[in-house]
Amino acid sequence: MIKKLIENSTAKSPWLYHINTGSCNGCDIELVAVLTPRYDAERFGFKLTGTPRHADIVVVSGPVTLQSKDKLIRVLAQVPEPKVVVSLGSCPRSCNVFKGSYSVAGPLDKYTHVDVSVAGCTPKPEAIVAGLAKAAEILKKKREGMS
Amino acid sequence: MFPYLKEAVAQVFGKPSTENFPAVIPEAPDGYRGRIIYHPDLCINCGLCMRVCAPQAMTKTVVPVEDGEQITMSFNMGSCTFCQLCADFCSRHAIEMSKDYMMVVEDEKDLLVSGTFIKKKPVPKPKAPAPAAKAAEETTETCAES
Amino acid sequence: MTEMLWNLFYILVFPGLLFCVIAGLLLAGIDRKVVARMQRRIGPPIAQPLYDFLKLLGKETIIPRTASRTMFLGAPLIGFVSLIVTALFIPIFGFTAFGGVADLVVIIYLLTIPAVSIIMGGAASGSPYAGVGLSREMVAIMSYELPLVLVILAISRKAGGVFGIGGLTFSMTQIAEYQAQFGPMITKWSMIPAAVAMLLVIPCEVGNHPFDIAEAETEICEGTLVEYSGPPLAVYKLSHAIKMFIMSALFSALFLGGAGTGMLAVDALIFLLECVAVTIISMSLPHAVTARLKVEQVFKFFWTFVAGLAALSVVLVWFGL
Repeated sequence: MIKKLIENSTAKSPWLYHINTGSCNGCDIELVAVLTPRYDAERFGFKLTGTPRHADIVVVSGPVTLQSKDKLIRVLAQVPEPKVVVSLGSCPRSCNVFKGSYSVAGPLDKYTHVDVSVAGCTPKPEAIVAGLAKAAEILKKKREGMS
Repeated sequence: MFPYLKEAVAQVFGKPSTENFPAVIPEAPDGYRGRIIYHPDLCINCGLCMRVCAPQAMTKTVVPVEDGEQITMSFNMGSCTFCQLCADFCSRHAIEMSKDYMMVVEDEKDLLVSGTFIKKKPVPKPKAPAPAAKAAEETTETCAES
Repeated sequence: MTEMLWNLFYILVFPGLLFCVIAGLLLAGIDRKVVARMQRRIGPPIAQPLYDFLKLLGKETIIPRTASRTMFLGAPLIGFVSLIVTALFIPIFGFTAFGGVADLVVIIYLLTIPAVSIIMGGAASGSPYAGVGLSREMVAIMSYELPLVLVILAISRKAGGVFGIGGLTFSMTQIAEYQAQFGPMITKWSMIPAAVAMLLVIPCEVGNHPFDIAEAETEICEGTLVEYSGPPLAVYKLSHAIKMFIMSALFSALFLGGAGTGMLAVDALIFLLECVAVTIISMSLPHAVTARLKVEQVFKFFWTFVAGLAALSVVLVWFGL
């Protein structure tokens, strides 16, 4: 029964960790807009944490630049299981306009499995909330598969 | 600090300004540039959209078929910047920007907007002076068509 | 034998473990909801702290390579247990589980242990962010201890003027008795500055806005908790919720006491409602309207304004008002 309770509450309290890997700051602003009174993602239990150790969902925005590549890999390794990776906007999905630049180390799925991608440049806050809700469902499934 | 305190206490009994989002999905405002709609029947394969696209979000695959070429245009929404340049440059209005912003996917293939059409080769004029090898090829094709 | 069973019941169920956990999670949930409503949001459900706790139980525990393992895992439990022990000594109107054995001085010491456990855990985790966080936590302890002691001095003199030997009493039972006879402490106008000072001490002691310098998640990545994950973090979050309950319960016991109704269940319910009111006034309201203060601003604020209020109360009481 406790296992069932833990699984149910996993979907209800996903904590976010946001990492910017060279984004133009557009997606970062929209992610913060999700937590404002108008969209209020906290009513689904979402909370922005300051450290990857507390996170369940890692939100990546920006094409992975050479400088941020090592940090990204390190942050993803620090997140305790179960974890879900969400790519925010077009950049982590495909590098967007920075495609082929000398300082870009390729899209995000070279380095990790991307569970949910929210497309848009930038996505509307509603789309971000929908994407995070989908990520919470995947989180619950991963938790069910753990034990 | 005291005006804020007053506001805070007043808001406890007020109406929250949160949108009832998952129940009511609001429509995007006018002029919002969302998912691309592609009309393959209008496209003439001029390639201008690919030339103006900064993130190179389009791929064109050409498969030769009997009566010409089967052309598939594929727009990757995971790579698009939604700048609307392709729609502006399209002389036949084959590309349109919709207001659909819900592009939340688990699989990248769901982000592709693609369309296929067959471009017929122009029927060669019989008296056209052409090199011998090419003329021979064309005649075989026209034979097959008829 | 029956006495032992009753003691076990006290420790594990009623004023102890179970009651504390339920009341703490309830208060934390109400706090989050009320803050959200004050900011014109809908806010999370009341049970949200419970979901957070259960979720963290199901997460993986990562122990950093640089951490000292025993201390890293033991520190959360020390703070948790000391909070449960504190709850046993706080009277609920006429009722106390272990009234005779401990007084206010012990409670002051026990209240310091959770903060010390946070410092120990942070120091054991071996992260530079935790180092900054623990130094800030020490500043916070230094800031609120002086006003808290002054407040308690004022109360003990007020109650001791009637009962105590030498005009001072630190016994919680006697303070509760005094309030049962002469009405709640907050109705005495010489105690009002002390009550205000206590209300300002509560958010700093708990580590809430605007005095959450030790856990500033936007500046130093949650400070001392930076390396914690999984069940140890769950225990810390639960301790934080229980600390909210303990501090508001201490305020209710010291200032809002009274004769009670005589029935324990009704008394406990009224006591819980008082705790909710104190939580909303002292924690939710500052959380909704203020931003985080700087480290030196917190120290200055507590040693001048709050300590001044508490000292004013002490002086007034000493002159017999």
